[in-house]
Order: sequence, then C-alpha cells, then structure tokens
Amino acid sequence: MTRLRVDPVACDGIGQCALVAPGVVFLDRWGYPVVPEGPLRAGDVAAARRAVVSCPRKALWVEEHGRDERTVRPGADAVGRARS
Amino acid sequence: MRPVANAPWVDPTAIDRTWRSSSAAPAERDPAVRHDAVLLHDVWWPLTEVGTSTVPGSEPRMVTEGLDEHLAHLGPRPSARDESGRDALLAALDTVDLTGHGGAHVPVAVKWRAALRADGPLTVVANGAESEPLSSKDATLLRQRPHLVLDGLSLAAEALGARRVVVWLHGDDAGTRRVVQAALAGRRAAGEQGPTIEVVSGPSHYLAGESSAIAQALHGGPALPTVRRPGKPGAPRTLVHNVETLARLALLARGRPAVDTMLLTIVGPYGRHVREVRRGTSLVEALHGSGWPASEAPVGVLLGGFGGTWVAWDDVLRATVDEQALRAVGLSLGAGIVAPLPAGACPVAETAAITAYLASMSARQCGPCLFGLPALAGSVRRLADSSAPRGERRRLVEDLRAVAGRGACHHPDGSVRLIGSMLSVFGEHVDHHARGRRCTGGVVMPVPEVAR
Repeated sequence: MTRLRVDPVACDGIGQCALVAPGVVFLDRWGYPVVPEGPLRAGDVAAARRAVVSCPRKALWVEEHGRDERTVRPGADAVGRARS
Repeated sequence: MRPVANAPWVDPTAIDRTWRSSSAAPAERDPAVRHDAVLLHDVWWPLTEVGTSTVPGSEPRMVTEGLDEHLAHLGPRPSARDESGRDALLAALDTVDLTGHGGAHVPVAVKWRAALRADGPLTVVANGAESEPLSSKDATLLRQRPHLVLDGLSLAAEALGARRVVVWLHGDDAGTRRVVQAALAGRRAAGEQGPTIEVVSGPSHYLAGESSAIAQALHGGPALPTVRRPGKPGAPRTLVHNVETLARLALLARGRPAVDTMLLTIVGPYGRHVREVRRGTSLVEALHGSGWPASEAPVGVLLGGFGGTWVAWDDVLRATVDEQALRAVGLSLGAGIVAPLPAGACPVAETAAITAYLASMSARQCGPCLFGLPALAGSVRRLADSSAPRGERRRLVEDLRAVAGRGACHHPDGSVRLIGSMLSVFGEHVDHHARGRRCTGGVVMPVPEVAR
C-alpha cells in the first residue's frame, strides 16, 4: 500500500507536481496540490514518484503502508472530505 | 468585543445562585454539587476579555489548593517509575478508557503505547495553553488544583521515561504561571520525589497551544504547527497531554473515579462559566445552571467552540454531556465548550464573525488555509449581508471540500466544521439571506475583534 503525501507547510504552490503527474495530482483553485486520499493505484505510483522528485520545495513524499495517526474530529468530514 | 450583559434572556436567579455557590468555600456548598465535583469548583470568567490578555483584577478569585491540603485529601502520589507501576497504570487507563480532554479525545493508552514502542529522547508536556478563546477550564484547573496536574504530569513522565518534562502555557497567562511556579517551589521545598518540571510560556497566538507547534517550539523552532514527516529512528519525540487529562490520570493512579465528570466552559449571558458536570447530565440541565435558557429558548448551541458545530435547540433538548454519545451523532464537545445562541440572534451573522476571526488566526503557512479561510469567510460574510451573488452557496460548498483536511494542523477543519453545520442546521435561515433578507441585530457571541 503506497500513499502520496504532501507537507502543506513546505509547499509553496509552485505546481510542478501537477505538471509531471497529471491525473494523480490536481491543483485547487489557489494553485495548491490535491493528492489522492487513499492508497495509490498501481499504475499511478510511477507518476507519484515523479511528483516527489520534481518538487523544488521537497514537500512531497511517498509513504509505504503508512497510516496517518492524526485524528480528524467529527464534522470535518461532514462535507465529504477528510484525510484519514 | 461585544458584552451581552443585561440581555433580556438572562435568568437572574440562576446567575445569583451560581455566583453564591462559587464564592462559598467548597465545604459549605450544596452537597449535590460537591458530590459531582472531583476536579474544581465553578467560577465565572469575564466575557469581555475573550481572546485577549486578561486585565489584572478582573480575573475570578480562586482558592489554590496547597500541597499539604492536596496530600491530606488524596494521599501521596504513587510512583510509575518501575515496570509494575507503569503496567498497573496502563491497565487502569484501559479499564476506564481515559481519553484526552484537549479537544480531540484520543485515548491516553493509545498515545502511551505508541510512545513506548518508539525510541528517541522523549519530552512530556502538560498543555495549559487553551487555544479556543471561549475556553477557560484549563486555566481554572491549574489555578485551583496545580498539584493534581503536576502529579499527573510526573506520572506520565515516569511511566514513559521522559528526558524532559514541561508545563506549557500561553504567553499572556501570567496568573496561571505564578500559581504553577509557586506549586513547583512548594514541591521542591517539601522534598517531593519526581521528575524536574520546567514551566515554559509560549507565544499568545491562537495556534500556540496546538501540539505540533508546542513540539516544534520545545525543540528550538517557531511555535507553529508542523506535519509529522518520516523521521530518522531515534529522533526526539514530544508527547502532549491536556492538563485536565493529567489531573484525571493523577486521580486514576490513586484508584479514584477519574472519568465520571467533564469540565465545561459554558458561555452564559454574564460570563463564561467554568464548571464540572457529571457525565450523562442533560445538556439543558447543564445550561440551566449557567443562566439558560430563561424566558425564551435559544436558537441553538455552538458545541466545541469556534471550530465546533452548531446544534439546533430541538437537538440540544435530547443531548447529554457524554462525548461518546455525541460522537455517535457526529457532534463533539471538543475541549468542553457550550455556547448558546440567544433567541433573536442571527446564526449566519455569528458564523460570519467567527469565521473572519478564525481566518485571521491562521498561521499563514499552508496555502489551503492562507487562501481558503479568507475565501470561506468572505462567502459567509456576503450571505450574512445578503449581498451574495448567484451561486455563492455552491461556491462555498466547493471551497469547504477544497479546504477540509488540507492544513498541517486542524485549524482549517474547524472553520469547515462550523460553516458546514451552519448550512445543515440553519439551512432555511441561509435561504432567507440568499433571497435578500437581512437580519438587523448585531453579533452576540463574544468574538474577539479581528485586527486589520
């Protein structure tokens, strides 16, 4: 199980990741990357790794069978989206 | 700041009763109240100083429990230094399912087991820096029962083999700092055994109590939230516990009931009422004791503080002070904040004021928070002013999806939660605004002014 993660503190919204990994990384309307929430599909792993390497801020990384240990309080997913 | 004293919804007799009970010595108080309280006696904090440093002299007067009194009442603190003491404590944590009281309600045993599995020098922190401006339960607890909190901190530090042990406070909370330092001096003078404890005052901004910000600050960085990235094995670690959690740990270690109550800050008409309430108490009963709802039922209640959720009054009538039960229906008390919205107030205008404040409190580190929160606040402001163009609500919902879960910390998620609950709980009211109707009254919640 492989996940693509982004450190939003390190990210400056340069957008290189979305250029090298189209279909895997999207940019929101402010230009910041949105990465898949769950495990990457096998066919997307190579693109995710390209995104990691391309980032001038080193804000992305790939996590193997990792889990995000932080707890999301209820309600954060009330509008259908929370990182878990 | 908008004081709401002398508001028409006040039940003066309830206020009077509570004032009397809080000014009396604990032993003279109503036996039923005394029976419920294991942590503190109730006090009123001013409404007018929410989110600012407290003006000296306006703080509620509280009696601080001395070390002698503390030991006479509870006996000496057990040790958790050896394996048997630690295992007994872990077993007790599992049995009563002690969860964190800082807002996230993570089981303490889960945090401890993770800490015991990892290596690298550990710092254990008692977090007394309340980030939610409405909350004052942690400052109240530290000022009344510093030794109980320090016992819990010592126990956690011993059980987990901490190298460094810290009480973390907001920079502007001089009153609490004085009490904690005096308590530590008293413990040293009495020859109390235990780890050396530092008191560290962080900055005073909204995110200075966020656990990753504390961890970064204690390791020489700025007190700003960070993301945990894959680290080297053996890197320094920080475990942050809320002070109420630690007080309950200190009771649990002595075989005392530790989880039958919860500390709440109830925003009343005259002030913020910090009180201890038995778990399972109906929410309405808790509100009655703080002056609500008087003649006319409130519109609803903001549960969990500014980054919490609106709850319609009809649902409040069925709710109890029980985090697990509330979670089952998608609600949370967070750090124990209950803020009723009085009859006649406009939930959209209140939400607009709160989201503008939350946007101003961003650490400005993460794009989705830096740009997303002002966008959210702008949309809600336009809805409140009935100046929203067509499609504003659709845009707002899209932005909520774009912001949720995308900060280094959960600050943006608080705004998402608040606005999401406004749309679902007060949808009809939002419709009225969308059709051009405007509410005239001002904002009644004590929302700190937004600096421009």
